[in-house]
Amino acid sequence: MTATAKRTMPYGVMPAADVVDLLLQQHGRIRDLMTEVMGGSGDQRRAAFRQLVRLLSVHEAAEEEVVHPVARRHAAAGDSIVADRLQEEHDAKELLEQLDGMDPDAPDFLPLFLRLRDAVITHAVSEQRYEFNNLRHKASPAELAGMRLLVQAAEKVAPTHPHAGVESATANIVIGTPTAIIDRARDAIRAARERLPRSGG
Amino acid sequence: MPFNPLQEKGIPLEEQIRNWRELNVEPFDPDTVHPYTRCRVITMNGIEMESILFSHNFARHTNDTELRRQLALSRYVESQQQRVVNWLLPGWSSVLETTIAYEQVATDLTSWVARNEPDPYLRQAYEFGVLEDFDHLYRYSNLYEMIEHRKAEKIVDELTEVMPGRPTKVEHRHPFDNVRENYDKEAAAPISKLHQLTITAAEQQTLNFYANVGPQYMEPIARQLYQEIALIEEEHVTHYESLLDGDQTWLEQLLLHEYNECYLYYSFMEQEVDPKIKRVWETHLAMEIGQLQAAADLLRRYEDRDPAELLPAEVPNVLLFEPNKQFLRDLLATQMDLTTLGTGYVREQHERFVKMQERLHGGEQPPSERVVAVHEERFGGDYRSEQEGPHPVEAFRQHAEARA
Ligand SMILES: [Fe+2]
Ligand SMILES: [Fe+2]
Ligand SMILES: [Fe+2]
Ligand SMILES: [Fe+2]
Ligand SMILES: [Fe+2]
Ligand SMILES: [Fe+2]
Repeated sequence: MTATAKRTMPYGVMPAADVVDLLLQQHGRIRDLMTEVMGGSGDQRRAAFRQLVRLLSVHEAAEEEVVHPVARRHAAAGDSIVADRLQEEHDAKELLEQLDGMDPDAPDFLPLFLRLRDAVITHAVSEQRYEFNNLRHKASPAELAGMRLLVQAAEKVAPTHPHAGVESATANIVIGTPTAIIDRARDAIRAARERLPRSGG
Repeated sequence: MPFNPLQEKGIPLEEQIRNWRELNVEPFDPDTVHPYTRCRVITMNGIEMESILFSHNFARHTNDTELRRQLALSRYVESQQQRVVNWLLPGWSSVLETTIAYEQVATDLTSWVARNEPDPYLRQAYEFGVLEDFDHLYRYSNLYEMIEHRKAEKIVDELTEVMPGRPTKVEHRHPFDNVRENYDKEAAAPISKLHQLTITAAEQQTLNFYANVGPQYMEPIARQLYQEIALIEEEHVTHYESLLDGDQTWLEQLLLHEYNECYLYYSFMEQEVDPKIKRVWETHLAMEIGQLQAAADLLRRYEDRDPAELLPAEVPNVLLFEPNKQFLRDLLATQMDLTTLGTGYVREQHERFVKMQERLHGGEQPPSERVVAVHEERFGGDYRSEQEGPHPVEAFRQHAEARA
């Protein structure tokens, strides 16, 4: 892993992988999992959806705790931009919870899922355009690095690449509903923040 | 049944103007669209842009008010067609995703044209050029994984392989060496004229796109890569446009443009898998037939010539988006080290080429090399998508560690 190596280039610096890289990676993975849910059925769809619930919950929790507060400080009109994003996250979370209580093969699952997908991807693209761009520009490298650690701490709560065979009923019970995952991710972020030398956000 | 757009019933120009509701098309879904549907959209956008730019230039070369009015009318409906076609692209896609699709278009469209071009000199021009856009696909795909953390195969699927082509670094030639010899308007087959129009339009649109969107990126390497590849696209437009017989009159060229649009919409309608987009191609074909007939009337009126004599009696074989993997691998094995000298092709690094390289690179590695170097540093190897085995040229194979 050479992520921390800073490379000086003739016309500028290629920055080290930072919190934005991590979030973009999660956005990509969310998008791909959604395509899997749409395309699959039965156990395949169920497994993809479980992964999606975990990743999406952890991701949005991390954004609410770590990213939006910093974006609020750095973006022009940060307050209103972040307010829009929070509203979108709130709406998406309601849809996610509704879907979480449904059988993925039930006839009304897919139409509702397509609404979630529409909301989440549009939301993610808006974050990329109106928040992340600013963040990279205005937050200091130290701040970005601290944020990355916090998002990684949240990610550990709900691993999204389970090894084959580990995916079982017990795993689901341990991990639980979107709200439960979000709470645990928040706790993990707060605990990690305590351990940071200086607050990352 | 032979299809001859000159004989078909088209929509009269005045009836082609559409309202807001008709213009407000629903974009395709970037994660479920067939990659070749996206390629057809990008191609037709380039074709419509060409029809608009050509018509504007034509209008600047005449003082005839009546002719200018006719051009203005058909150009207006061409503009609406462009707005409809390009607005099929979704807002979800990033600029880089669309860029990768542009290079997939250049790769598979130019390959198909090369395979179906009857004239050997013209075919060589397409074979030469396609290996360069194939390399751009590889460079941009490395950038994509580096800054957007997603793999290009999510976009191009396994229809088009991603691996080094003729290295972008050596594609920078002296501008004199980008000018080819033109076909002869009397001798050339109609299909050759259509191929030349299609590829020139696609390259021109690619050039304009990169030159405009490149600075939207913040990452220095992204900005620089767009700058570099947009310069190669300038070379490509020069290369392909010089194949045209410039002695054809403006009206003759207008007729060819309209015929080509009929040919392409007809081709894409035949193969389209997305029913909504298929309907767009059908509508636009009916419109193009009307536009072709209007252009034919102008040719009769102003030049007293029979348009049928300039066009094929029936539409040529449909142009297809399909994989060209083996074709490209054969070209890689035989033509990677080609460059141009005057209007021909050579393997030697001649003086003018070397001088140009020295001047442009100024002793540094260009962005196209650095993007792969940084990717290797970060990911332990370059990004590729090879389905048919290792690279045909030994020196361009991936290191064993990178494949692991
Ligand atoms: Fe979010
Ligand atoms: Fe997000
Ligand atoms: Fe058109
Ligand atoms: Fe290209
Ligand atoms: Fe090109
Ligand atoms: Fe047209």
